[in-house]
Amino acid sequence: MSDPDERRRQFESIALPLMQALYNTSLRLTADGDEAADIVQETFLRAYRTFDNFRLGTNARAWLFTILYSVFANRYHEAKRRPRMEVVEQLEAPATPESDIALVAAWGSRWNPEVERALRRLPEDFRTPLLLIDVEGLSYEEAATVLGCAVGTVGSRLFRGRKLLYAMLQEYAHQAGYGKDRAPDP
Amino acid sequence: MTDNASHLGATLQDLLDERLDAARQTEVLTHLAGCPQCRSELEALRWVRDVALKQLPVEDVPPALAARVVAALDVTDKQTVRRGWRRRTMAAAVLAAAAVVLLLLVSPSSNGDTLPNAVARDFVAYRDGTLPLTLHTSDGAAVQRLFVAGGAPFAMRVFDLGMMQYQLVGGLVHRLRGRPSALFVYRGPGDRNLVCQMYEGQLADLPRSDDVRKHNGITFQVYAAGTVTLVFWQEGPVVCVLASDADAEAVIQLAYAKAVKV
Repeated sequence: MSDPDERRRQFESIALPLMQALYNTSLRLTADGDEAADIVQETFLRAYRTFDNFRLGTNARAWLFTILYSVFANRYHEAKRRPRMEVVEQLEAPATPESDIALVAAWGSRWNPEVERALRRLPEDFRTPLLLIDVEGLSYEEAATVLGCAVGTVGSRLFRGRKLLYAMLQEYAHQAGYGKDRAPDP
Repeated sequence: MTDNASHLGATLQDLLDERLDAARQTEVLTHLAGCPQCRSELEALRWVRDVALKQLPVEDVPPALAARVVAALDVTDKQTVRRGWRRRTMAAAVLAAAAVVLLLLVSPSSNGDTLPNAVARDFVAYRDGTLPLTLHTSDGAAVQRLFVAGGAPFAMRVFDLGMMQYQLVGGLVHRLRGRPSALFVYRGPGDRNLVCQMYEGQLADLPRSDDVRKHNGITFQVYAAGTVTLVFWQEGPVVCVLASDADAEAVIQLAYAKAVKV
């Protein structure tokens, strides 16, 4: 790719279609629209600068999510500004109405925010595998590459995240018609 | 939804995500037929995956973001063009300086592209996501097999650093300034990365270090490259190096823990 115009064209055709997926994941990692946009912009810049190392025909989605997560992790972990973490045992408690209002306003959600709210309350270690695998459709192996951890670790975090999410959404699930014949778990 | 010895726990997820082989799947289905609790837990996991998370809205990209990205790429392109123009117009000067640069590069005391600089660059590239590992596992033996399969010309052991709160992440058959290198990564407290490389060579190949330490009869040469600390030591014909942006003394202690006298 020695021709700069061809390089730019190839990059745009491969990377730009993934902007919405990257932005949505960034938004759910940061819960801040401006931060999410900054992270996406930095992701595209880093990707463009290192595009010569990307092998055409390989997995652009996993490549870009890897850079996105790296940018996010550097911003939050290095500066010790990690998004709010809650003690896992506290997560099954229902959120207060005040926090619901604040959250819905922050997200600008246009419909029932129950799932979004519960997801936001999950610790980042459990939330990220859910976002990558269940929302964005990455495989376990791709998510392991993005997160820089073993496939088994991804699986265990995903399992814990799904269980926690269900625990938080149990009442909502029943109201929505799921498992009407089941009593909520104690 | 509680796990205990008689229930399937995380195996239910493996079934849900089709990650079981046929024999295990049959066993799990047999268990499910007689276990209402596991059936219930499986359906809860399925509801989260297939119903709850499918309700998440797809937020539109702000138009200003798309414009910002394109503008940033334009700026990068212009900088590249300017660098190219400068390269052409300064070619004669570069050629004239080439011999001097070459001398600097081969000199052990060079401040240019030294081994410590190359190791530091690899650390930053890994941390920034532009140097992906080929194998992600916490199994040291699997990483060793990766290096053997990749033709590493020396024997090495990938140690567990769990006692130091660092877990193995995976490995990569790499090249360090043209020579084969076994690169593997640990992750520790605060998600700090610790990148280890092993390559055939001698400590004498390194530039002079202002911080040389002895521990258990082993010599450690310490370098700093920005926020990255690098600790080199010799194990037989192999040079080992740890690189991390963790606290410098912590990196040195990790090197002490990892070093083996040969």
